[in-house]
Amino acid sequence: MDPVTVGSPGSGSDPHVQAEMGRRRFVRLLLGFSLVSTVSMIITPIVGFLIPKKVEGASGGGKVLAAKVADLPAGSGKVVAMGSKPVVVVNGEGGVKAFSAVCTHLGCIVEFDATLKHIVCPCHDGHFSPASGAVVSGPPPKALATVNAVVEGDSIFLVAG
Amino acid sequence: MATQTTAAPNGVVQWFEERVRATALFNALLHVPIPVEAKTYYLGGITLFLFMVQVATGTLLSLYYKPTPEAAYDSVKYITSIVEFGWLIRSIHHWAANGMIIFLLLHVIRIFVQGVYKYPRELIWVFGALLFAVTIGFGFTGYLLPWDQKAFWATTVGTEIAAAVPFIGESLLQLLRGGPDVTDATLSRFFGMHVLVLPISLALLLAAHLTVVHQLGIANPKRPEPRPGQLPTPGLVQRWKPFFPHYVLDEVIAWAILLALLVVLASVSPAGLEDKADALVTPPHVKPEWYFLAVYQLLKVVPAIGPLTARDVGILIPMLAMVVLVTLPFLDKNPEVAKRKRPVALIIAAIVLIGMGILTWYGGQIPAVAVAAS
Repeated sequence: MDPVTVGSPGSGSDPHVQAEMGRRRFVRLLLGFSLVSTVSMIITPIVGFLIPKKVEGASGGGKVLAAKVADLPAGSGKVVAMGSKPVVVVNGEGGVKAFSAVCTHLGCIVEFDATLKHIVCPCHDGHFSPASGAVVSGPPPKALATVNAVVEGDSIFLVAG
Repeated sequence: MATQTTAAPNGVVQWFEERVRATALFNALLHVPIPVEAKTYYLGGITLFLFMVQVATGTLLSLYYKPTPEAAYDSVKYITSIVEFGWLIRSIHHWAANGMIIFLLLHVIRIFVQGVYKYPRELIWVFGALLFAVTIGFGFTGYLLPWDQKAFWATTVGTEIAAAVPFIGESLLQLLRGGPDVTDATLSRFFGMHVLVLPISLALLLAAHLTVVHQLGIANPKRPEPRPGQLPTPGLVQRWKPFFPHYVLDEVIAWAILLALLVVLASVSPAGLEDKADALVTPPHVKPEWYFLAVYQLLKVVPAIGPLTARDVGILIPMLAMVVLVTLPFLDKNPEVAKRKRPVALIIAAIVLIGMGILTWYGGQIPAVAVAAS
């Protein structure tokens, strides 16, 4: 196609050059757009593929038997599974309490230390109060999440939600 | 007849030469001069050799390994105790992985001390630093594969570190683990990264690293290239030695010695296996591999600073250190390479290395000591 036929007369000093530049800019824009579209089309499914699907935890609701009262004497504690989530149940001075057993520092599983009377993380030596789950010492940034523990008869239940 | 027999190899070589034109390629790759003063101490070459050992042993291990939580532990046990020479292959893989980190670290230190990362070799350093990150990634992803207690909890802690990255932490954690927890999805991802993503990344980075080394030549630590606009020092004559066979032969001898050492280490101290992973019990005194101990211990001892929690500080420091490592040639503006003219850089590096050494040693102590002291 002749560039002269594309140029708009009177729009500049050299219509040939202006038409050429306008067309080049348009083609470049089109190429750039195609490139971005192509890259996006390739990347979008890859990113979508890599993002895991949300899976409902097994601890979605209900009541889970944690232990028999006889198996958890005063001054002791144990880690039990509540669905897929570990929970530390402690029979301390304030009665039976339960907390998430996942350390708030870096995700290790805490356990009750009967000698120190603390909930202790074995990874970085974080200590938590068995009464409230609050941090007593060490690097954990926050308290252990509380889980509802209910004593019914001779059994200790964990109640979700 | 005898004439025909001796002529046959030449004929075969000639046949391939006509079709591949390999002589010119080998000449370009191997017949290059290097400065007489260039002393590499075999460190980069040994790292390359160990990577080749890892590819060979890793490929063999993958023939028996099963990447599912139900089968991974037993398949590693099977490799170790039933498969002929399985213990040897696995132990060499284990020791070569450790060796790769050690020699890579020594290689980085050598390059830093000699100051040969400066103009015009900045990109060689950047590719090298990225290779270092990929190698650490190999260690981290390979760690989980045996699916024992140590593997499981080191991965739990390691991926939890990613969760503390500002803004994208939670997404990064999900991306690494394939969900909120360390599960079969994590094992699949780590296996895929360990045997495909990271080897391909490492091969590409290595190709880039070595290509630029080849293009610029091995640096002379005593006499840096003149910068643009700078005249070469008059009266100095550069002496050269051939890369092939002199340098290559030295390297190959070092590789042979190292291979023997790997076999001895594998025999004397074979790779172990702890109890099968249990998501409900973190074993007491759990520790990561030695090269993660400094970060592991840092996370324990750093204090909170301002609005940042101790955990944030402990995670930001290694991240920042990695950024500094990759961008070092652009941060260090001092054009000098002589050690006596770079006291600040060398003192800072020494402090960092000593600090890492102390943290590693401290992290390796049994926690009972820390508990008793507290």
